[in-house]
Amino acid sequence: MYFFRKKRLFVILIGFIILVGLIGLTLRDREELSTVEEFLQDTVGWLQNVVHIPVEFSTSLISNIEDMKNVYEENQVLKSRLGQYKNLLYEVQELKQDNEELRNVLDKTESITDYQPIQASVIARSPEPAFHQVKISKGKQHGVESNMAVITGNGMIGKVQSAAQFTSTVLLLSGFDRSNRISVDVAIEDKKNVSGFIVGFDEESESLLLELNTYDVKLDGGELVVSSGMGGVFPRSLEIGTIEEVTPDKYGLTQIAHVTPSANLSNSDHVIVVNRLALQPEDEITQEGEE
Amino acid sequence: MQKFYLPLLLLVLLVLEGVALDFLPISLIGDWIVVPHWLLVLLVLVTIFYDKENTYNSIIHAIIFGLLIDIVYTNVLGVYMFIYAITIYSIHELKKILHTNYFVALLMTIIAVGIADIGIYFIYFFIGAIELFWKEYLMIRLIPTLIANILFFLICYPFVKRKLVKWTIERFDRENGIK
Repeated sequence: MYFFRKKRLFVILIGFIILVGLIGLTLRDREELSTVEEFLQDTVGWLQNVVHIPVEFSTSLISNIEDMKNVYEENQVLKSRLGQYKNLLYEVQELKQDNEELRNVLDKTESITDYQPIQASVIARSPEPAFHQVKISKGKQHGVESNMAVITGNGMIGKVQSAAQFTSTVLLLSGFDRSNRISVDVAIEDKKNVSGFIVGFDEESESLLLELNTYDVKLDGGELVVSSGMGGVFPRSLEIGTIEEVTPDKYGLTQIAHVTPSANLSNSDHVIVVNRLALQPEDEITQEGEE
Repeated sequence: MQKFYLPLLLLVLLVLEGVALDFLPISLIGDWIVVPHWLLVLLVLVTIFYDKENTYNSIIHAIIFGLLIDIVYTNVLGVYMFIYAITIYSIHELKKILHTNYFVALLMTIIAVGIADIGIYFIYFFIGAIELFWKEYLMIRLIPTLIANILFFLICYPFVKRKLVKWTIERFDRENGIK
């Protein structure tokens, strides 16, 4: 009996050592997954794809029925907006054409705004909420690489954390911290844009923390925050959110703005992975990766 | 053949955990964090109704599927594997003391989910993956998680118990009969 007690203790100790070793090995930010992990991710991902279809059908059926209650009122509002949009569309087309012509004159074909969209759907959500991850149905074979931005129709929701061959894992904005900063611009009417960095997420107010680069600018709230493309990884002008309130940071050196994300992070089924077309400067890639 | 039913069932649950949160309406959850520990609930039932006193099927499954959860759903490997294995092991020991019936199974599920989630919270807290403090964790994560998993237990118990008892008779009792 004594022997078995000793053996049991031994096994638990070995288990503990394995646990600490594995955590130590995997805790650092890894760009690449090992082959075994990729294989398991893809295999489970395939099953998730199969399960996802009926699940999405039933959940969207329920939300569709809920939506039907407000159809009439929404229709009225939308009709009144439609007229305005036609004007806007014409204006945008004019501007686009203008822009293209001017670019041609300058012989500048590359822009950090351009990107190639890769359509994907969300097939699973991590049941462990500490990691703020979702899984999408496109992987390396479709051109997805780690660190690409992921957006929905409403705005940015996160970035690709790791890509397997046929699926990839997306880190949502709510899981961002200082090691995945986004360089952004705040659009202010009639003035020069203010730049800054998204440095983290505040769980309590459910808003992103934006560190502004200047101290003297005054923001009232409601300003649009878009990516600036200066980080070297994300393209320019992806919508991120709107400013809620501005407070000085704890050392009084800069201002911290709370930004409400435009996209619904917890409930988005169809996403677009953004493949920036402009070349990424070599040193900046490694910098952004390690940051 | 029936050897493979159990891993298959566990695999299906692993996949379903990924879409579990889609079924809950957001208005109902609010600030709460609900973690589905369905695999663990099933493993507790396996420990109680399938394993004999000297067989350790459930613990081996806990290690393998815990590692799978780590790989598929989290960044940090080893946490679910270690915690699930320890939890199932303690349930295995506890089973020797208690007489098995419906309420004991319910009690063991609550204990297992409680131990596992608190263990996971502590490890993640130490490595900095969770920033919730103990009191907040208790209110917004532990209690909703316990309730959700008890609900899962109540739903799956009648189906799973009958199957497990059948499988265990087919596997262990017949083998012993032949010997």
